[in-house]
Amino acid sequence: MSILPFPSFLDDIKEKGFKRAVFEGVDDIVKSITAGMNIQDIREALRGEAPSRRPNPRLQPHSDGFWLHMRPSFFHKDMTGVYPTFRLGWLSTYFVFFETITGMFLMVWYTPSPQIAYGNMVAILSNVPLGQLMRDLHRLGAEAMVLIVTLHMIRTFMTGSYKKPRQFTWFSGVILLFATFFLSFSGYLLPWDQLALWAVTIGASMVEASPPPIVGETLNLLLRGGPDIGANGLLRFYLLHVLAVPAILFIFTGVHYYKVIIHGHSLPPQKENIGEDTAKRVPLDKRVYFIPDVLTSEIMWIGVTSFILVVLCVWFYHAPLEAHADPQVTPLGTTAPWYFLWIQGALKLGDKVLWGIIFPTVVLLIFFAWPYLDNTPSRRYADRRFALIVCFAFMSSFTVLSYMGTAEYGVNTTADQEIFYYMAHEPAHNRMGIILPVPFEQLPAGFYTTREFTAEEGMKESAIAALNEALYGTELGKQLAEKLKTEAHNPAFNLDATNIRVRPVPQAEAPRLAYVMELFEKQVAKEDKELYNGWGAVLITDNQDNLKRIDIILVWEAIELENGQPVLDENGNVKPILKDDGTPVYNIAIDHVFIHRDAAYFMNY
Amino acid sequence: MLQRLLIDRIENRILVGITMFVGIMILIGWVAINEGERMRSFTNQFEARSIEFGAELFAANCTTCHGVDGRGIGNFGPALNSPYLFGHNYFASINNQITAINAREAQLIAERDALMQEFVNANDARREQIRARRDEIEAILTGEDGLAAERAAVFAERDNLLNSLQPAIDLGYPQPTVNEDGTVTSVYSRLAFLEWNGSLESFIYTTLVHGRPTSKTYWENAQMVSWSQQTGAPLRDDQLRNLTAYIMNWDKGNAWTIEDALAVRQYPLVPVAGGGEMVASAPPVGTDVDAIVAQLDTVVGDPVRGEQIYNNQQRSQLGARLGCGGCHLNGVAGPAHNAKWDHFFNERSQLPQFAGYTVQKYLVESIVNTGAYIVPGYAAGQMPGDFANRMSLQDMADILAYLHTFSTVDPYVPPTPAEPSAEATPEA
Repeated sequence: MSILPFPSFLDDIKEKGFKRAVFEGVDDIVKSITAGMNIQDIREALRGEAPSRRPNPRLQPHSDGFWLHMRPSFFHKDMTGVYPTFRLGWLSTYFVFFETITGMFLMVWYTPSPQIAYGNMVAILSNVPLGQLMRDLHRLGAEAMVLIVTLHMIRTFMTGSYKKPRQFTWFSGVILLFATFFLSFSGYLLPWDQLALWAVTIGASMVEASPPPIVGETLNLLLRGGPDIGANGLLRFYLLHVLAVPAILFIFTGVHYYKVIIHGHSLPPQKENIGEDTAKRVPLDKRVYFIPDVLTSEIMWIGVTSFILVVLCVWFYHAPLEAHADPQVTPLGTTAPWYFLWIQGALKLGDKVLWGIIFPTVVLLIFFAWPYLDNTPSRRYADRRFALIVCFAFMSSFTVLSYMGTAEYGVNTTADQEIFYYMAHEPAHNRMGIILPVPFEQLPAGFYTTREFTAEEGMKESAIAALNEALYGTELGKQLAEKLKTEAHNPAFNLDATNIRVRPVPQAEAPRLAYVMELFEKQVAKEDKELYNGWGAVLITDNQDNLKRIDIILVWEAIELENGQPVLDENGNVKPILKDDGTPVYNIAIDHVFIHRDAAYFMNY
Repeated sequence: MLQRLLIDRIENRILVGITMFVGIMILIGWVAINEGERMRSFTNQFEARSIEFGAELFAANCTTCHGVDGRGIGNFGPALNSPYLFGHNYFASINNQITAINAREAQLIAERDALMQEFVNANDARREQIRARRDEIEAILTGEDGLAAERAAVFAERDNLLNSLQPAIDLGYPQPTVNEDGTVTSVYSRLAFLEWNGSLESFIYTTLVHGRPTSKTYWENAQMVSWSQQTGAPLRDDQLRNLTAYIMNWDKGNAWTIEDALAVRQYPLVPVAGGGEMVASAPPVGTDVDAIVAQLDTVVGDPVRGEQIYNNQQRSQLGARLGCGGCHLNGVAGPAHNAKWDHFFNERSQLPQFAGYTVQKYLVESIVNTGAYIVPGYAAGQMPGDFANRMSLQDMADILAYLHTFSTVDPYVPPTPAEPSAEATPEA
């Protein structure tokens, strides 16, 4: 008899005793959450035992639950190893969620506006506990996702899994691949640093090449929100990154998964007869049930992957944050993100429309159309020589094109700019000029030259004396002082009026500076054709108590150039340009950086 | 082969999975407990980078006027690397010493006076004690090592400091004054002088954003312009922040030395001479144009003072800053002043409503009755209408005399419409 006017938990206690009533209550809740499995079922599954009741409770979550209804309830035994899937599909899916979660964390501290976006980045790094880790994970996760999705596609191609009846699964997969690319690319702009601005500027300018011009210009305008990327462009990229592209990605992830349920996982090619698809007809003895084997295996894989990512982000990787975006300053060595380098490489082959738009579009169309074009029935490797050749040809040409896309390939930079970049470029792409990490204490004020390191041992003093001779009170000295004053804004230094003289690098006091000067000398010597009779110098001045100014100076004799390359005579020598009186014409180039005691360049790179 | 790589047994899968998740949690926990230190170190590093960027901007944009070392350039720009900007008080410690000596002295004198009061009614033994204590006090007050000697030493140090600061004072460092009690009062801080209530950082930043709109009127060679993109200038907000960080990095806190004050090449110029003269010394000029023109014959205008009033370097006799030059420069915000006289003579006087006007009458009307005629191309109602109450007849005469220095025609002759300036006689 109930003590309340309706049946209640208290009645259960009365009837069964407290312990049993509570256990059954909890058991019911667990069963609702798992859509069918009670505590005993879960325990058996985790112990690797056979289910003790019929019908098999481990199938019920697949039929009654939301999450598992998109997973098959059993796999073929041959599909549960590392080969043939390498778990790449599952990890791709996992990264969708991984990126969503870390991304939401970052969204809390981010405003898509050029005025504050960079400040937000700094705040995430300086004022948000775990902010740096989250940003690193998000960024590294994005790179890993691009890599894994690409590998997943290559694997699918290799095993011929796109063949009938899975053509559309492949098709939706290509959509997901490009959604992943674009998701990663649109995220590039958000930190609003130099890396972001210029990588995206390069990417977006490809769009501009779309023929006819009216289409290209309109698309470009739509994407950038103006002639240049500014507030509108940033907002658009942000919305693409957090709303539009993820929406496409989620929808097609659903489509992709549904197709996998419908068609099952394609077996390793050699396990089936040619032209047969037995994925849905798994013999009872070949079945591996999703619960528990596949499920525990998948959870283990995401555990391992996440652990690797966390380890990398704690010790080995930090998401880059360069200087604030500046449309006026184009950094040397600007490239598109690595997965778009192949387009940048292709662009170096010639016409912007042909290589920047038509070529990638054709590649995209081939990707989409491939399963419909290749309708040979066999999935065996031996029968698919042509397809595999195509695959390897694609992979190697993409590798070559990507290499061609890097700044090292086919970009003509003058020798002096190369050397300045080598010596003093801002930290970018996790590299920086070699003089930046020199400890502050090892930058004693003074004027040092590479001539000291060109000279033989014992001749160093006289080499320096000769240079002093050549500089002070001479035309060259005046030219250098003038150049320093007007172009480098360093009028404090005046070769005629001060007593600053070139002096040897104090080895004991500044070994690191000496080492850098030696590298500097090697670099100048390497360019001895273009920098004819050239020498370099480093001028260190105190600017504030904890701030030094470092001017890097290159002086060389002018030679005849053609398209930026030295003109050589029949003996392979350069042709110097001389004044009427036979003296050489000097070229001087100066670059400078400031180094603060606490800048600690060596710490983060 | 690859099949074997699969962790076959479920227990091992669970073990590896749990190990990984526990590992992740331990790592995140480990990162979390080190976050404070990491964030501090990042902040330091970021500020250092900010100063580096600021140094770059300063070298490129600011050194022409403020000097490479930030110590100013004569008549171009004031020093920023200066104890005056950072508000260092050279006399703080000496003032403290003097105040302490004075307080001790006052305390001792009070004690002595109280003892003397007591002395009258005390018994012999007590009187003896009081005498002894009085002698002690006298010794402290006037003895060889006493307060007087101590004070003399501190005063000598103070005078020494004043003397060594003298070259800086000659250059424009605010003149300190010695008070009756021997302490020194000086307006040692630029911010205090300007009555700026915010921080120095906000002062520098604000100056960078807005510039000094009228600084051209008191700096002969240069004007502090706006640098912010908000106002159409080249620098972004983050760049202004970097510049501010660089300038703030000159701060030496308490370590500023006299040498720093002496090394300054240029102190800030003060735009208004005679600050504080807020008392009216003459009646306002009023709005009756004809009466003013008639009275103008009775006073002689001084073009030098006129220029000062015009450019805000001096107040009017009614104690007001007129600041004509704030707008009437180069014809940007208001009609330009330098060609005004001839312009009226040659062109404006041709208009029917100015028949019979002298240039003088036109200008007086324009000043005291600002809405009477609006020069084409400028909006009505921009010029304040209260100048009649803010200036005296003498001020008016001086300003007119200043404006006339740009002219080649006689102020007192109504122009003849047919024959403009070519026939005009220059003023003697």
